[in-house]
Amino acid sequence: MTLRVDEVSLAFGQLQALDGLSLAAEPGRIVGLIGPNGSGKSTLLNVVSGIYAPQSGTVHVGGRRITAFQPDIVATMGVGRTFQVPRLARRLTVFQNMLVGGRGHRGENLWNLFVRIGAVRTDEHSMQERAYAIVRRLGLQDKINELAGQLSGGQQKLLSMGVLLMSDPQILLIDEPAAGVNPVLIEQQIVFLSQLRDEGRTILLIEHNMDMITGLCDDVYVLDGGRVLAYGTPDEVRRDPAVMQSYLGTHERKVAS
Amino acid sequence: MIDFAIYMTTIVCIWAVLAISLNIQFGLTGLVNFGQILPFAIGAYSAGIASFHGLPIWVGVLAGLIMGPLIGFLVIFPTRRMAQDYWALASLGIAEMFRLTMLNFRGIAGGVEGTIVERLSDPRVAMAVSVLALVVSFIVAERISKAPLGRLLRVIREDETLAATLGRNPFRFQVVAMAVAWAMASAVGVLYAHITGFVDHGSFMVIETFIIWTAVIVGGPGRNLGVVVGAIIIQAMSVSTRFVAQWTDLPSDVVANLRLALVGLLLVVMIMYRPEGFLREKKPNYDVKS
Ligand SMILES: Nc1ncnc2c1ncn2[C@@H]1O[C@H](COP(=O)(O)OP(=O)(O)OP(=O)(O)O)[C@@H](O)[C@H]1O
Ligand SMILES: [Mg+2]
Repeated sequence: MTLRVDEVSLAFGQLQALDGLSLAAEPGRIVGLIGPNGSGKSTLLNVVSGIYAPQSGTVHVGGRRITAFQPDIVATMGVGRTFQVPRLARRLTVFQNMLVGGRGHRGENLWNLFVRIGAVRTDEHSMQERAYAIVRRLGLQDKINELAGQLSGGQQKLLSMGVLLMSDPQILLIDEPAAGVNPVLIEQQIVFLSQLRDEGRTILLIEHNMDMITGLCDDVYVLDGGRVLAYGTPDEVRRDPAVMQSYLGTHERKVAS
Repeated sequence: MIDFAIYMTTIVCIWAVLAISLNIQFGLTGLVNFGQILPFAIGAYSAGIASFHGLPIWVGVLAGLIMGPLIGFLVIFPTRRMAQDYWALASLGIAEMFRLTMLNFRGIAGGVEGTIVERLSDPRVAMAVSVLALVVSFIVAERISKAPLGRLLRVIREDETLAATLGRNPFRFQVVAMAVAWAMASAVGVLYAHITGFVDHGSFMVIETFIIWTAVIVGGPGRNLGVVVGAIIIQAMSVSTRFVAQWTDLPSDVVANLRLALVGLLLVVMIMYRPEGFLREKKPNYDVKS
């Protein structure tokens, strides 16, 4: 599924977090989203995933308009996300978190619990198999009965990726998977993300780690002050003088234009 | 002595069901209901109102079972848009409004004098029905708690936004949890009315909600067995102070206040030194081989 964001704006009081921002991401490609702190990257994910409604502009997935839909509806349409600070049920175990990631479990229906006991058991069985296959891929199979809140920061990021995969999303919005993660786990995530791309999923990746961006991304959008400052291949944007300036901090947002 | 044991068992079972009901809301789902006595009062008053207006018993029973969850919907729909803390206060206020309405409008169920209800004359039958109510409530609560539904409710408790981004509508599941919990509480409300043979506003004060909360916090939020133990502890404390009153000739209001102070003390000590309660919430151990 294609993700398209058109002319999206959102202000928090005086602060224009998103300022007429447009971008697109295609299946089978990884689109990078970079930019200085506070440039609006995470806010964009919040708008796409329905946590914030934009003040103007539209969001489309697979040609359907989803602007300002509720987060649960957006998720059921195949758009999944992770958070910059991993969101997990901390007092639940790794495996409990994983199992809630998958949707359509008949055991979440009160009636089925008391009437269709066999169906509930069948679903639980297949959900557990699926979850176990994913935690194995992530190297978390020895931690399934540990509390999610007790994992290291890097492992929590891996786990949120696993939870996300349980829902089999067509569009993945991933916010800084490498921040605070050790190099081995970063390497693992790179392999993992490229596999997901090869499965034909659409990936929007926010990351400050430039090795990850150049290693993975087909295209990169550079954000600054809530708008697109530059767009191109990782090499192209790296050589862009405006981008270098913005990263060096000499770019003065308020004076511009 | 045997009469006393029968009476105690009956009372403990009823309060244990109220604790399980609150546990489904708070321990499992994270709903802070400070009006937990309301569904209980609705059940009791359904029996009371039916009796007061000369309707057959079954009308009161049926009305109690239906009105509990139904009024629950009316409370939760407009108020859930509020932040969690405000919802807690709103639920407290609505429970008091209900009680004060019953107190002040004589035409509904006798007002301040209350109303007589047909009494289960054999205390052993009363006990048996109470035990049955507890067993059924416990089985239902355990089934939910250990099932995928319970897992999801716990995720909603921990982080509603997370649940939403995983494609679940948190509110929908909060409503399910509330409906089950309120049905239990109003069912034992009906039972309570027919055991005491009398319904008046005095049984449904804010303080009763506090007592149920203490049972849940002390016993172990999130753990059904824990909150049953909590209910037993609180009722045991309550009864023993009554004996103290008999032996020491202290005036009854002093003893009542003493009892409350004791319950409050227990609550504070538990929150400080053992916030997970006597029986902590169990974490499931998955053993997957493939
Ligand atoms: N809920 C909010 N209320 C007020 N201001 C907000 C809110 N969310 C974000 N902001 C502000 O909007 C701006 C953009 O924030 P955002 O989190 O999108 O930046 P970012 O590009 O993700 O930065 P970083 O690289 O640090 O994660 C920041 O100035 C931030 O303080
Ligand atoms: Mg961010």
